[in-house]
Amino acid sequence: MAHSDSVKAGVPSYLKEAQMIKQGAEARVYRGTFLGRSVVIKERFTKLYRHPEVDEKLTRRRTTQEVRSILRCRRAGINAPVVYFVDYTTHCIFLEDIIHSVSVRDHIASAQASEQNPQHLQTLVDKIGEILAQMHDEDVIHGDLTTSNMLLVSGAEDHNMKLVLIDFGLSYISALPEDKGVDLYVLEKAFLSTHPKTETLFERLLKSYTASSKKSPAVIKKLDEVRLRGRKRSMVG
Amino acid sequence: MHLTQVLELFPEYTVTQLLFKDVKNTTELRKMAVNGEIKGALINPSMVVDSFQILVAANKAVHLHKNGKMKTRSLYSEIIFNLSPTNNISEAFKRFGISDSDSAVHIVLVHNKDEILNINDIILKVDGQQIAVDRVSDLTDVAKIKKLYKVAPLEEKCGSLLDAVVCRMATKDVA
Ligand SMILES: Nc1ncnc2c1ncn2[C@@H]1O[C@H](COP(=O)(O)OP(=O)(O)OP(=O)(O)O)[C@@H](O)[C@H]1O
Ligand SMILES: [Mg+2]
Repeated sequence: MAHSDSVKAGVPSYLKEAQMIKQGAEARVYRGTFLGRSVVIKERFTKLYRHPEVDEKLTRRRTTQEVRSILRCRRAGINAPVVYFVDYTTHCIFLEDIIHSVSVRDHIASAQASEQNPQHLQTLVDKIGEILAQMHDEDVIHGDLTTSNMLLVSGAEDHNMKLVLIDFGLSYISALPEDKGVDLYVLEKAFLSTHPKTETLFERLLKSYTASSKKSPAVIKKLDEVRLRGRKRSMVG
Repeated sequence: MHLTQVLELFPEYTVTQLLFKDVKNTTELRKMAVNGEIKGALINPSMVVDSFQILVAANKAVHLHKNGKMKTRSLYSEIIFNLSPTNNISEAFKRFGISDSDSAVHIVLVHNKDEILNINDIILKVDGQQIAVDRVSDLTDVAKIKKLYKVAPLEEKCGSLLDAVVCRMATKDVA
């Protein structure tokens, strides 16, 4: 094996051929084929302003956290993409491509625009509440709950709607109601600012969360506290 | 009847899989793999759900080989090690390698583009009946796999047994 070969080959040259679908602040996301399957590749890149060693550690931790939480969710029956391969040298994760899916964000936006079938969005938020309760019961804190980080697989009927959670780079394991409450608070902020006039819908989501987990009262109590803190902070300015 | 695929990440490498049943010279084959007469991994097909599982193991082995980060001594032992859900090397060989009493063998070869591979050489060494690789599912011991990889019914709501298996293999370094 020639040395020049081994330098050129591997993930970097593979990514040159792949199609980039998102360039984020910390990661680039691509679509490609891997071992004959359709995959999404998430590449975390280094940040030049950070100290190289600190950066390497942080990037590695994000990658590790992401795959760990995905496995933990799947073991508990919570949909998350299959992990096919992890390259810790280039910080790339090769994930199952959730085909025929739309982000919950786009889905809600188009449902609101077409103003049809409010029943359907209610079923959707019920499902989200239920899944997040399951996830928190496994002590997985997502860390970046937004409607962009939930994919809705199309084709299924309302009663067996399939939702897939993605983007676990900021996730961690914790049993603390406070951490779960903050997780929900992050979602509430994102949800209400992304989707105007959805206060009642989000309330319904929390109701479903509450009904789905025995541990929910402590979490909702913390959520209320965090909200209050948030409001005070914004009043002070 | 064999299956040959290029690794997209390492296009200079090709993986070939062959499957045999009613094998009568398992002991001999094992010796040949140890002394290098057979350059390949000999795998117990009852632990294989699908040829994709083998590709995932081979891809990871080649990747670690190129980065000088293999946990075992050769590319072939690394493939066997990668199939295992644990980091115990001897356990991996016991479960995923072949033992003298086995009568079916899944052979995995990895070759560089410019290497000439004589598949017939390998086929001639096996005293057994070659069958199509996709028939490995007939030989899969589903119950044993579920137990070893600890796949609970709940997880099967999320996808197939194959999904559960490859996800464990890919994440075992940090799980
Ligand atoms: N497994 C997948 N299947 C289909 N589409 C996906 C998958 N993973 C990601 N995507 C698409 O790519 C987008 C970006 O992915 P992701 O949310 O994981 O990255 P990110 O938001 O850039 O991550 P980070 O917040 O860590 O910087 C998603 O919103 C989704 O549209
Ligand atoms: Mg995202």
